[in-house]
Amino acid sequence: MPSLAFFIQIGMVFAVFTLLLLSAASMVYAERKVAALLQQREGPNRTGPAGLLQPFADVIKLMFKEELRPGGADKILFVLAPIISATAAFAAFAVVPFGAETTFFGLLDEPVGLQAADVNVAILVVFAIASMSVYGIVLAGWSSNSKYSLLGALRSASQMISYELCYGLSLAAVLVLGNSLSLREVVNQQSGTWFGFIPRWFLFLQPVGFLVYMISGVAETNRAPFDFPEAEQELVAGYHTEYSSMAFAMFFLAEYINMVTVSAVATNLFLGGWHGPLLPESLGWIWFLLKVAALLFFYIWMRWTLPRYRYDQLMQFGWKILLPVAVVNLLVTAAGVIYFGA
Amino acid sequence: MGLELLLFYVFAAIAVVASVLVVGQRSPIYSVVLLIGSFVALAGLYVLLDAPFVAVIQIIIYAGAILVLFLFVVMLLNAEKEKAESGTRVSVAGPRRMGALLAVALVAELGWALWTAARGEAVVATGPGGDSVSSVRAIGISLFTDYAFAFEVTSLLILVAMVGAVVLAKRNV
Repeated sequence: MPSLAFFIQIGMVFAVFTLLLLSAASMVYAERKVAALLQQREGPNRTGPAGLLQPFADVIKLMFKEELRPGGADKILFVLAPIISATAAFAAFAVVPFGAETTFFGLLDEPVGLQAADVNVAILVVFAIASMSVYGIVLAGWSSNSKYSLLGALRSASQMISYELCYGLSLAAVLVLGNSLSLREVVNQQSGTWFGFIPRWFLFLQPVGFLVYMISGVAETNRAPFDFPEAEQELVAGYHTEYSSMAFAMFFLAEYINMVTVSAVATNLFLGGWHGPLLPESLGWIWFLLKVAALLFFYIWMRWTLPRYRYDQLMQFGWKILLPVAVVNLLVTAAGVIYFGA
Repeated sequence: MGLELLLFYVFAAIAVVASVLVVGQRSPIYSVVLLIGSFVALAGLYVLLDAPFVAVIQIIIYAGAILVLFLFVVMLLNAEKEKAESGTRVSVAGPRRMGALLAVALVAELGWALWTAARGEAVVATGPGGDSVSSVRAIGISLFTDYAFAFEVTSLLILVAMVGAVVLAKRNV
C-alpha cells in the first residue's frame, strides 16, 4: 500500500511540471513587457488586464497552426527532435530543490524537501541532462533538410560543447567548496551570515565562478548576446526554421525552461537558495522565487541591451579566456579549501 | 521490488534492442541515435544497481560528449545510407570471415561467462562494501590510491591523442 508520502511525491512531480509550464508562459510575457519597457513601448496590452493573457492566446494560436514538414525531411527524427528538447528541459528541473524541508503542516511524519526527486548527485544530473539537450537541436537541424537549419544546428552544437566545459568547471568549483554533490546540502551550507549582515552565499566565495557560470549559462541556453544558432540576419531562425505549430512551441518552451533551470541552479549554488532574512524557513520558497526572478530579469535585460557577438569572437572567448579562467578558479578554490581546511 | 524488476526488464530490453538495431541500421545517423538510446538505458540499469554516480557519468561522457562528436562527424561528412552491396563480394570476403570468427569467439565467451555465473563460480568484482559504487568519495579515493597508476597513464594517453589531433589538424591549415 503506497503511503501518503508517496502520493505527496507524485503530487510534487505534477506541481513542478505545471509550475515550469507557467514559468515559461510568464517568461514570454515578461520578455515582451521588459523589452517594451527598454524600448519605451507599451508591449502586449490587449488580451486580458495589462495583456496578462497574451501568452495563453499565443499558445492557442500555435495549437491551431498547421503542422508543416519539408519535403526532404527525415520523418522520424524531425518529429523526435522537439520531443528530446522539451523532455530534457523538463527533466533537468526534476532534481532542483526549491524550498526547505517541510511536513506540510504536520501532515507527514517525516519532513520532505520541496523538489521532484532528491538525488545525491544532483549537480551532475543537471550537467548530464544539459549535455543531452544538444541532441534535440542537432537532430532538428539535420532532419529538416535545410541549409539554414543545418548551419544553425552545427553552430549550436559547437557552442554548447565549448561552453559546457566552462559550465562544468564552475560547477566543480562549487562542489569542491561545498564538499557535496547534493544541491540541497550545498544550499544548507549557505544559511546564516558572516559578521551578522553578509549572507553566507557562495557568491562571495566564488565571484569568478559565478561569472563563469552565468556567461556559460547564457551560451548554453542560446540566449542573446550568444544567440548564434538563431541569428536572424544570417540563418533565418537557425535549427527551428522549418518547424511550425506545436513542434516549434516545444523548442520555444524548452528554451525558456532551460533559462529557468539555469537560474534556479545558480540560485541554489551561489545565492543561498531559499535562505533569506525576514521570512521563516517554511516560506523560504518565496525567497527562492524572488532570486530566480531577479536572475531571469537579468537575462532579459541583457538580451535587449547587448548586440550579438560575432561567431568567431564567441569561440575565441570561450576557449581562450573563459576556459583558462575557469580552470584557474577551480585550482585556486581547491588550494583555498585545503589551506583553510574547508 | 516488483517495480524495480519491471524497470530492469524495460531498460534491458531497450538496451539490447537498440544495440542490435545500431548494427542493423543502414543509415549512420540512426545508428548514432540508437546508440544514444542504448547508453541511456544502460545508465538506467546503473541507477537500478544503486550506482547513480556511474549512471550520470555514463550519460555525461558517453551519451553526452562522445556521441555528440559521432553525430558531428556523420553530419559533416554527410554520410550516405549504406548501399545494399552488389558485386563487391570479393573485396569484403576477407573482413567477413574475420567478423564471423570474432562473432563466434564473442558468443563462446559470453556463453562461458553465463555458464560460470550460473554455477556461482564467476569472479564478480565486488568492492569492500556495497558503498563503493554509490559513494562518490569512495570512488574518488580508490581512483587516486589503488588505481592511481592506471589513472595517470590514461590521462597521459588522452594528452597524446590531443596533441596528435592538433598536429593532424594543423597540417592542413
